[in-house]
Amino acid sequence: MKQSHNAGAREFGLRLWRALRQPLIAVLFGLLVGALVILACGQNPAAVYLEMFDKSFFKPYYLFSTLTRATPIIICSMATSMAWRAGYINIGVEGQMVTGTLVATVVALYVPGPPVLIGLLAWIAGMAAGALYALLPAVLTWKFQVSMVITTLMLNYVANNIASYFVTYPLKDTSGDGLSFHTPEIHEVMRLPRLSSSSTFNAGFLLAVAVMLLMVFITRKTVFGYESKMGGFNPSFARYGGTKQVKVMMITMALSGAIASLAGSAEVFGLKYRYSDGMLSSTSYAWTGLMAALIADLDPIGMFFVSIFLSGLQIGGSAIQRSLGIPLEIATIIQCCITLFVSVKLVFKIRKKKASKEEVKEGGVKA
Amino acid sequence: MNSAYIASILNSTLRSTTPILLAALGSAVCSRVGVFNIALEAQMLIASFASIAVNYFTGSILLSVSAGILSGALVGLIVAVLQVKYKAADMVVGTSLNLLIQGGTTFLLYLIFGLRGSLVDNRLVSLAKINLPVIRDIPFLGRVLENLTIVDYLSYIIALLLFIWLFKTVSGFRILSVGINKAAAESLGTKAVRIQMGMVVLSGALCGLGGTVLSMGQVIMFTENMTSGRGFIAMAAASLGMSHPLMTILSSLFFGLCQGIGLALQNIIKSQLTMTLPYIATIVALVLFSRQLKPSAKLKKQGKA
Repeated sequence: MKQSHNAGAREFGLRLWRALRQPLIAVLFGLLVGALVILACGQNPAAVYLEMFDKSFFKPYYLFSTLTRATPIIICSMATSMAWRAGYINIGVEGQMVTGTLVATVVALYVPGPPVLIGLLAWIAGMAAGALYALLPAVLTWKFQVSMVITTLMLNYVANNIASYFVTYPLKDTSGDGLSFHTPEIHEVMRLPRLSSSSTFNAGFLLAVAVMLLMVFITRKTVFGYESKMGGFNPSFARYGGTKQVKVMMITMALSGAIASLAGSAEVFGLKYRYSDGMLSSTSYAWTGLMAALIADLDPIGMFFVSIFLSGLQIGGSAIQRSLGIPLEIATIIQCCITLFVSVKLVFKIRKKKASKEEVKEGGVKA
Repeated sequence: MNSAYIASILNSTLRSTTPILLAALGSAVCSRVGVFNIALEAQMLIASFASIAVNYFTGSILLSVSAGILSGALVGLIVAVLQVKYKAADMVVGTSLNLLIQGGTTFLLYLIFGLRGSLVDNRLVSLAKINLPVIRDIPFLGRVLENLTIVDYLSYIIALLLFIWLFKTVSGFRILSVGINKAAAESLGTKAVRIQMGMVVLSGALCGLGGTVLSMGQVIMFTENMTSGRGFIAMAAASLGMSHPLMTILSSLFFGLCQGIGLALQNIIKSQLTMTLPYIATIVALVLFSRQLKPSAKLKKQGKA
């Protein structure tokens, strides 16, 4: 009994290590480049990194900020991977998130009825809107073979500008000083509970964990997960195997958009309680999520931890900007260098070489 | 809707076309050798920043334009090394570089100038404005061509030269052969990888010039992320122009017109709504002309996209 428990734990540990091995090495490379940039700024990298990690992971208050910021990033990375693993390069998670969140906020604010029910309805409406906004490029790809890379990106700008219009004019909260562009606050009953009394850490994080578990389940245990992965892996094989590509594409993209909307809804219902202009785009949640997905090679467990790490970099980055005068974009630079290193598959190559050597050894023994 | 109004719309159309056209030509030369380069945005943005930075410290137009072109080419070189030489995934490289340059320029703006948002300074010099002697006095045409910069004219000449080079010379055919069948071209002794890398660097230089016009043309300033998707619009323009330099002029003019109309409508409709126009137009144009594109070649690329 105890043994099987140990074996399960070991297997989980092994799986965790396998998911994190590639990201970890790439992260070291990224931090190395970051250190060079910090040196070029005339500062001591060790001291800067210490300060950065102190004010993102080591102190409880900052750790809570990191986890709070990680919530939408984790969900966005799941939304990205949903599409990418099936071979659909959806870089429009931001637009899908913005559309879904705006709709959810409007429903929460203006649909009459008991707050608990309306709150629930708002999340569902948001998911539906996000899904529809993701289906638009999918349909265009299916019917007209239009590049999804371009359409999804263009739709980001469309969504951001239209959301900005709504928040600036028809939906603007006129009760305050009138200087800030945001909607009124949602009803107290609809707000997600706080998980810590001293910070803004809220139940949105549990939602992110749930989405991660859902992704693990979809990718490892369902027929749909297999079919969509096969479509991305080898389209002609998938067709040969009887996979209905169009149907899989539509479901994949709709799910991607629906998940994306959750990221923004968690931000509104758990943290800000209102939609304000640029709250989801200026924070680049979607792009950080995309980076996390790339670094973790689309593995849900890996993406979860990488998202938290990237979020910590950003929280730490704004801390060192305040105290040391190094711009917080240092976080972006480190992040992008990590993905560039991942893209060259440096790590992968080293691993492959080892693997092939071992194979040769084994072959030698057999012979 | 009088003629002066139309002339001013056409004038801003021509100005908005230039950066898109130059970047679209950059995209076209990449597709012609079979490289899918989506780091156009990065190649443009770094040039917008580098040219303004050099402009600020030297006040020399020649040096700023060179800095723009060189910095664009440098980012192109990174793309070439990672994507062509090390065969890294195009989407990952492109997306990472676009974000890296977006963060990097913001980082440098703060580090060098201590600024957030944008850099405007009356020490900055703009590209020379040209008002052609006789044409200036023709009522309608004079207004349409008013205050264009030398690069606005140059971009069309570059398109023409690219057409002649790629389609009318031997070295051009050699380059095109790499895109048509890399293995066959290599078997004939063409250094395919080197040509591909060279073309990506050229696309960097072209985008660099485009980014320079953006920050030193009709406005003289650098703003964080000022390219705002133009690299991707340029990709769409190149794709509509079937990566043919002369056809790309037409498709780029179309996108320039959309931006021109968008600017003109800002007085009537709220700016947030008019700003969506170029992006919606891009999608609509891609859909409308999709049937004319070669489906087999396109599908292969978009099986991924």
